[in-house]
Amino acid sequence: MRAKYVLSEVLVGLWRNVTMTVAMIITMAVSLTMVGASYIMYRQVGQMEEYYYAKLEVSIFLSPTVTEEQRLNLRSQLDGDPLVRAQDTVHETREMALENFKRIFSDAPDLVSAVTAQDLPESYRVKLKDPQQFEQVFNRYNGQPGIDQIVDQRRLLDKIFKILGAVQKLALVAATVMALAALMLVGNTIQVAAFNKRREVAVMKLVGASNWFIQSPFVLEAVFAGLFGSILAFLALVAAQFLLFQGSLQSLTELLTPVNWSTVWEAFGLMTGVGALVSAVTAWVTLRFYLRV
Amino acid sequence: MTKTYPKASRPSLDDVSVAIEKGEFVFFIGPSGSGKSTIIKLLLHEVAPSSGRVVVNGKDVTTMRSWRVPSFRRTIGCVFQDFRLLPNRTAYENVAFALEVIGKTKAVARRVVPEVLELVGLGGKEHRYPHELSGGEQQRVAVARAFVNRPLILLADEPTGNLDPDTSVEIMRLLDRINRTGTTVVMVTHDSNIVNQMRRRVIEIDTGRIVRDQARGVYG
Repeated sequence: MRAKYVLSEVLVGLWRNVTMTVAMIITMAVSLTMVGASYIMYRQVGQMEEYYYAKLEVSIFLSPTVTEEQRLNLRSQLDGDPLVRAQDTVHETREMALENFKRIFSDAPDLVSAVTAQDLPESYRVKLKDPQQFEQVFNRYNGQPGIDQIVDQRRLLDKIFKILGAVQKLALVAATVMALAALMLVGNTIQVAAFNKRREVAVMKLVGASNWFIQSPFVLEAVFAGLFGSILAFLALVAAQFLLFQGSLQSLTELLTPVNWSTVWEAFGLMTGVGALVSAVTAWVTLRFYLRV
Repeated sequence: MTKTYPKASRPSLDDVSVAIEKGEFVFFIGPSGSGKSTIIKLLLHEVAPSSGRVVVNGKDVTTMRSWRVPSFRRTIGCVFQDFRLLPNRTAYENVAFALEVIGKTKAVARRVVPEVLELVGLGGKEHRYPHELSGGEQQRVAVARAFVNRPLILLADEPTGNLDPDTSVEIMRLLDRINRTGTTVVMVTHDSNIVNQMRRRVIEIDTGRIVRDQARGVYG
């Protein structure tokens, strides 16, 4: 009986105040979409760091005039270097560089045919035990005879990570601002709902209905809006996943690692939790002020 | 016991001390603003005394934790001048509402509500809405709602204030009958006819102080 009573009170309450309910759900949905997107980006940056850092190389390009002695000397130095994963060091000869060049620029046969092995530098492709320690490696080898330049791929990626990080922060800020609006709407909706039922509430207090019995329909109204909002937010993220990553922005996915569906589901869980909890707490706090015993 | 409302220049009730025994029928009388209604509010734990203690049914209301208040109120029934019925519910539903919101099942309501409506003399009018009932009948519904839980105490705040003299007498008969079942009745009023007819204990309050406490009193 109680569950049925509470449920019907919730539905009647939401319907009686339907414009406010819709406004509450929409702001909640937008805010939660931002929360979810920001979570996905956070996971994405982590995943990409893991993925790319494992493959990152430091390229030590040798000058065209390098001697055999300098080459061997450098190799033995690299093999004995504690910062370097020696077994992964690859000596890329001019011929190998040309093969790679052909592969990378296979779209541009003119360019490929214009380049010969002699135009490309040979290099040592070095993997570091800890990619953060590039500076030390750079300082150790830079300027040694036979070395032309040392390039850290991480620098290139860092720019991308910075952009992603900035977008994520932006989404969090937007989420916070929207959440503030959503919270005020929840508070207001609950006040209106409590006002609409003031006679019932007065009688319930008088005859000794327990506080949770009086308050739960209102709290559940807010929770319902939160859950509905999180479902809308989830649909928005799914749509984004299809439209952006599998549609118009697909070219970016050569750079970005693909977003796992499991991450989207995790974001859904997060949004549901945040949406329900935040609205429940807001409603409860509002009622504490509004329905004094 | 003293109650001073914030921003008030003088206490609403000033050093008042009253003991009401179980099963008594007590009138609180006095002019408007004398502090009569504050007594009802104190007994219901709607307001707390500024100093002193309020003890109801052996429980100190003053120090009662707020989460205990609901179960405390289930032992008290309450009737007001303005009836406070829910307009969109029938007489039956109004009374049943008081049971349902404290967790009683519909089956209990089906058994108890017709009984108590019969007791207050509304048999046959269960399915009327408040606007289809006369003032006296509406007040009977309110009494039924207050009494349906078999409270130990019935508080009545000017229950005849909106009723004509004949109807008032009927309501008083009803309260008297409820009192005879052992329920303590505390009634706030300034209806002199009623007080004079009933010849029960009268406590007169003026500007927050008790000026008279008489066992079989009249309005004076």
